[in-house]
Amino acid sequence: MPEPSGHLIIQAYDRIVLVQVTKERLLDMAIINAIGAELNALLDRYAKPSFVLDFAPVGYLSSAMVGKLIAFYKGVVIAKGRMAIAGVRSDLMPLFKITQIDRIIRFYPDAQQVILEYKRKPL
Amino acid sequence: MATRRHPSTTTKRRVIRTLEARRATEPVAGGTTRRFRLLMRQGDWQPAGEVVFRRSWPSRLDAKQEAMDVVAELLSSRGWVSEEDRSWLVLCLDEAVTNAMIHGNEGDPRLMVDVVVAVDAKRWQIVISDQGSGFSMASVPDPDDPESLLLEHGRGIRLMRAWLGSLTYYRRGATVVLSRRRTDVSGGNHA
Repeated sequence: MPEPSGHLIIQAYDRIVLVQVTKERLLDMAIINAIGAELNALLDRYAKPSFVLDFAPVGYLSSAMVGKLIAFYKGVVIAKGRMAIAGVRSDLMPLFKITQIDRIIRFYPDAQQVILEYKRKPL
Repeated sequence: MATRRHPSTTTKRRVIRTLEARRATEPVAGGTTRRFRLLMRQGDWQPAGEVVFRRSWPSRLDAKQEAMDVVAELLSSRGWVSEEDRSWLVLCLDEAVTNAMIHGNEGDPRLMVDVVVAVDAKRWQIVISDQGSGFSMASVPDPDDPESLLLEHGRGIRLMRAWLGSLTYYRRGATVVLSRRRTDVSGGNHA
């Protein structure tokens, strides 16, 4: 399992896992690869997980990071889990629409809203 | 003595038309759609306006950040890109410089990436060249193919296309020209 990168804060409530991204710029390949590895390691730790990725601090995002999110999403599906992305800034949302990520991953205005929904409807 | 025949202007135009990869309706930043041109042109890029910046960086990721910062600051400080669009400029620079360093130069720090900024009365151009052999348009995933949705790569060009006015490749893809209308001219907040 990779060492915590410091780019993510992870808190688990039962099988609901809140992943808060702490970086504003997700452009550097070293950071993107570290985050990707840390996300993939979470898939081994939880059965049928419900992941909430909080992107509130993120202001810049590259297509390489989008690729890591797709890889993570595929892992979540294999683990029979679910995931959502929350808190995306309005100026960043077009990026997810253009890359059509919003067609496969659900987006919410804030993380708390997803956590409440996941608590109401456990897997 | 045998003489080599040079292609006529008409033939050159036909070749350029044949090499046009796509001319389609694309989603853009802001949610609307517009027609966009993605071209692979033969030969080398020629500046249409004044070259205001020229510098080379080694293919190292720390140099990538510096290249992006320097060029983004240049275009922002001259008013050619608005502050609200700066994140799009940074995104496009990141995609293009990363492609040049990682894919074009295969991450070899001995190989350089050249960056040129040119401007005319209406548009700015950022020209990024690597020392690689280019790429085939056929290797770029079709974003409209449903099977592309779960690919972990191949979205960079689509992202750049969403904001830029034009994205043109030269030297088989080893040079890319990013261009958009200046925001400091009338009607400049459009691609």
